[in-house]
Amino acid sequence: MVSLAAYIIRRLILLVFVILGVTVLIFAITMMFPPEIRAYMYVGNAEQARPGVIEQAIITHGLNDPFYVQYGRWMSQVLQGNLGWSYSSGESVVTAISGRWVFTFEIVMFAAPIIIFVGIYLGVQSAIHRNGLVDHVCRVASIVGWSLPSFWLGLLLISVFSGYLRWVSIGPLANANIDFIAAGIKSHTWATYTGIHVFDGLLNGHPDITLDAVKHCILPVTVIVAIDVALLIRVMRSSMLEALNKAYIITAKAKGLSKKVVYYKHARRNALIPVATLSGMLVAGLLGGLVITETVFSFGGLGSWAAHAALTRDIPAVLGYAILSAVIFVIANLIVDILYAYIDPRIRLE
Amino acid sequence: MNVRSRFEEFKVSMRPRVKEWKFMFLRIRKNTLALAGLVIILCFAAIGMLAPILAPVPPDSLDAFKIPKDTEINVLTPNPTPPTLRHIFGTTDQQYDLYYACIWGTLTAFRTGLTVVGISLIVGLLIGTLAAYYGGMLDEVLMRFTDIIIAFPGLILAMALVIAFPAKIPINMSMLFVVIFALVSFLLLALGFSKKLLLVIQGLLMLSLLSIFYYPLILDLNLTRLDKVLIAITLVGWPGYTRVIRGEVLRVKNEDYIEASKASGSTDFGTIFKHIWPNTVYPILIVATLDIGSIVLSAAALSFLGIGAEPDYADWGQIIQRSRAWMSRPEQLIGNMHTFLIPGLFITSFVMGWNLLGDALRDVLDPTLRRR
Amino acid sequence: MSLATVVEVKDLKVNFYTYAGVVEALDGVNVSLREGEILGLVGETGSGKSVTSLSVMMLVPPPGRIEGGAIYVQNDSGREDVLLMNDASLRSMRGKDIAMIFQEPRAYLNPVYTVEDQISEVILVHRKPEFLKNALEVLKKKRRGGTVEASNYRRMLRNPRSLGVRFIQKFSSKKTLKNEVRKEVTKVLKSVEIPDPERVCRMYPHELSGGMAQRVLIAMALACNPKVLIADEPTTNLDVTVQAQILTLVRLLKRDFKSSILYITHDLGVVAQLCDRVAVMYAGNVVETADVFEIFGSPFHPYTRALLESIPNPEKGFKSIPGIVPGLINPISGCRFRDRCSYAMEICQKVKPPFLEVKKDHFAACYLYGGSQ
Repeated sequence: MVSLAAYIIRRLILLVFVILGVTVLIFAITMMFPPEIRAYMYVGNAEQARPGVIEQAIITHGLNDPFYVQYGRWMSQVLQGNLGWSYSSGESVVTAISGRWVFTFEIVMFAAPIIIFVGIYLGVQSAIHRNGLVDHVCRVASIVGWSLPSFWLGLLLISVFSGYLRWVSIGPLANANIDFIAAGIKSHTWATYTGIHVFDGLLNGHPDITLDAVKHCILPVTVIVAIDVALLIRVMRSSMLEALNKAYIITAKAKGLSKKVVYYKHARRNALIPVATLSGMLVAGLLGGLVITETVFSFGGLGSWAAHAALTRDIPAVLGYAILSAVIFVIANLIVDILYAYIDPRIRLE
Repeated sequence: MNVRSRFEEFKVSMRPRVKEWKFMFLRIRKNTLALAGLVIILCFAAIGMLAPILAPVPPDSLDAFKIPKDTEINVLTPNPTPPTLRHIFGTTDQQYDLYYACIWGTLTAFRTGLTVVGISLIVGLLIGTLAAYYGGMLDEVLMRFTDIIIAFPGLILAMALVIAFPAKIPINMSMLFVVIFALVSFLLLALGFSKKLLLVIQGLLMLSLLSIFYYPLILDLNLTRLDKVLIAITLVGWPGYTRVIRGEVLRVKNEDYIEASKASGSTDFGTIFKHIWPNTVYPILIVATLDIGSIVLSAAALSFLGIGAEPDYADWGQIIQRSRAWMSRPEQLIGNMHTFLIPGLFITSFVMGWNLLGDALRDVLDPTLRRR
Repeated sequence: MSLATVVEVKDLKVNFYTYAGVVEALDGVNVSLREGEILGLVGETGSGKSVTSLSVMMLVPPPGRIEGGAIYVQNDSGREDVLLMNDASLRSMRGKDIAMIFQEPRAYLNPVYTVEDQISEVILVHRKPEFLKNALEVLKKKRRGGTVEASNYRRMLRNPRSLGVRFIQKFSSKKTLKNEVRKEVTKVLKSVEIPDPERVCRMYPHELSGGMAQRVLIAMALACNPKVLIADEPTTNLDVTVQAQILTLVRLLKRDFKSSILYITHDLGVVAQLCDRVAVMYAGNVVETADVFEIFGSPFHPYTRALLESIPNPEKGFKSIPGIVPGLINPISGCRFRDRCSYAMEICQKVKPPFLEVKKDHFAACYLYGGSQ
């Protein structure tokens, strides 16, 4: 029996290399900007117009140095925890990220389990009752869902539920509640336990705030679920169909096992293996930031911040965000691989 | 005599393949979803080709893709007008005609999808096949490289690329020619083609090398914003193809007929062309068809964020971008629903057509499920 | 002396509805397996041997469908027709009264579960009450008869179907039960001559060699002491030395457990070594059935004769049967062997010969021996 630990160690080493590679790639992209633009990072808005300031900045910060020199300089900063200053949001990159990730997390916290569990359930049912009603409905729904532009669906939902029916407003919380919390923090009547409104509301004894947060999450979560669950259903379905065709299913039936046991214990466990990988990647992608959805719903999470940064050429912010995303992705990859090795004993041999 | 008999031989050797194709078309015809997808795509293709008739270019316009502004009604009112007889789909703010945008946007969509898929496919094919066929260190290095790009949040990378790309790229044509001729001569050598052609190509290679030093040909390429978007999405997308193609080639590489082909003296490239690629083409085709949809969606997303096509370019995402102004004011948004509802429907149906086709192709071409 | 028939397949018709057309895989197959014997089912690829064996357990996969005939098995309630059984009876029969082993053992074992998991699964499906009682005995001996675990077992014995019991089953620790079952699993593995059964219990199918995996499959089939064992070419994919071991094992099973075995193979050598009686199949029909010595000594059907003659013999050289097996989609009329038969007569082209007892206990379907009335 090959040990799981050895496998994990091997993957960790690979992870380091990939992260390093990602940083090189990100840095290479920023180097595509001419030094003048990059100098803006170091020069405040007020002084930019003055002659000579930009040239001075280029010299001071070595913006014309060779690639590896600049890269080395930047990496040493990053490793010390300094990701630079995001001038589009007026705070350090680290502060910007730590202030905003909670909003992204709130949405993903609801969306991910729904996508995974609903996707798996419907996918399995579609495969078991192939060409039945569930199968056809799921199939059509999947194709439609996967074809929707997320921003369009978002705009549509906003206009109907927010504009016409006036059930919720845009943003993570009703404006009244946002003010309430801000005031509470100032007067120390509100303790920020987790930063996530859904939890903090309960922990501070204000279930109405929790409810409000949930209400505001419904629309963005709907948009994400509608589009991503389609993919999961399709993959689960085809994986399950493949598993059902395998020889060991005949053995299972020949042992006298009931259909339920054959499908759910024998077939599904094998079918879940590729789906696990996909789910992990999906969640990592979601955590990395829902750029479009957050922008449309003004949710103030990582995604909208990064989009704004990219638009305003806020290079440190984009760099910092890119590193964060890549790290999340790679770690998720690792977790998925470990999960994979745990579920499927054959993988441990590789 | 010789030519005739060779042609007869060819026809006979193609018979089983033709039979397979006939079977495949039969299955496509029977599959309602595939037909629906095909019909949708053909409709859009028709719209695209008939664009100059359906939405005539205004006589004073320099570029067909610039959406005309109606300067006659309400120049002072920037607000969008709902559908009327004059503007069938209505106008956006600044009085841009939605109908024109949607019709000509079809052409933009096709152009975007097919270009990106085409280039990504070629790049992915080359790199994926090389990595899978030769394996070893080359495979490791290439795969790590593609892994790194895949590790990236795609949209952000595309955004960064679009912004970072300069508007003018001076391309050293001599250098380009050198690279192209070098590649072609390498290919010819590997395939063992005619020596005469090889000599000609190598002569051209020498000429281009000389010209680099004595008379470099430099072309200033002006990139429109849309071009940048295409390049960005291609650069982000090619690793996906590489992975799929590599997987397929790996699967086929270990089959017995590859070994037989090598044993009968076929060169590496010969084996790849004649045996490996024909057997891997189906899954790649499926991925490509499905991908056209996501590419159009990504391009629309980039336009929506404001870094896609120019503000008055006929692009579906670009038109919806104008609705962003009312995003934080839902009451106004619903009042102006036509500005985003209709272009969005265009996008959704276009993408759905490709998805239907790709999905149905996936079912039809699945080798394990055929002939049940 | 007529021995009891444990499995009797009568006039079985199975069709496969494919895109290319309707494949008439079995066209009136007659096979009977007698108590305590090893019956060899011989035939080329495509003759319908596997489909016949799968039909006995009603395991024919779609697009196949059983279209006619009857399959009688001897179980607790007497002689029943499998084709008319309901789901519950079928499930009770499979694994307990009739068990099956297959050709490629590693493909037929679930790769994500250990050997112990898979064998204990079949034991728990069919023999659970027995082991619950054993577990209770063990607990009583250890003076833990009053614990929660013991009362759980008692409840499981009393009403196995109630919701509360099902909840208990999922979430309680059933350590003692598992231990008892593990002991049985080890015992069964030992009986198929697997060395170090405790270690093998914890292994996964991909870690087993071909021969080992086949023994595990056999152990799994025998775990509930079935009266009938169907073996579908279990040694075809194994090398000859391992094959010999498995065959010895099968002979042991017949001797010690008195099982009746339906052994499917295309290898006449195996048939000669192992079987008591032989049924020869061709293109969806059984063409001849007889005692093994009879088949080899005096084969009646022309196909059997040709088959025996085609056994490579260094003195007599190679002799193959001319022609190819006819397609089963639009089957030819009359006897399906007629185009390759050197004795074909006019009636062979038109009507299929009936399966008759030509000599004592020796059946054949050929007009050479009658039946043309």
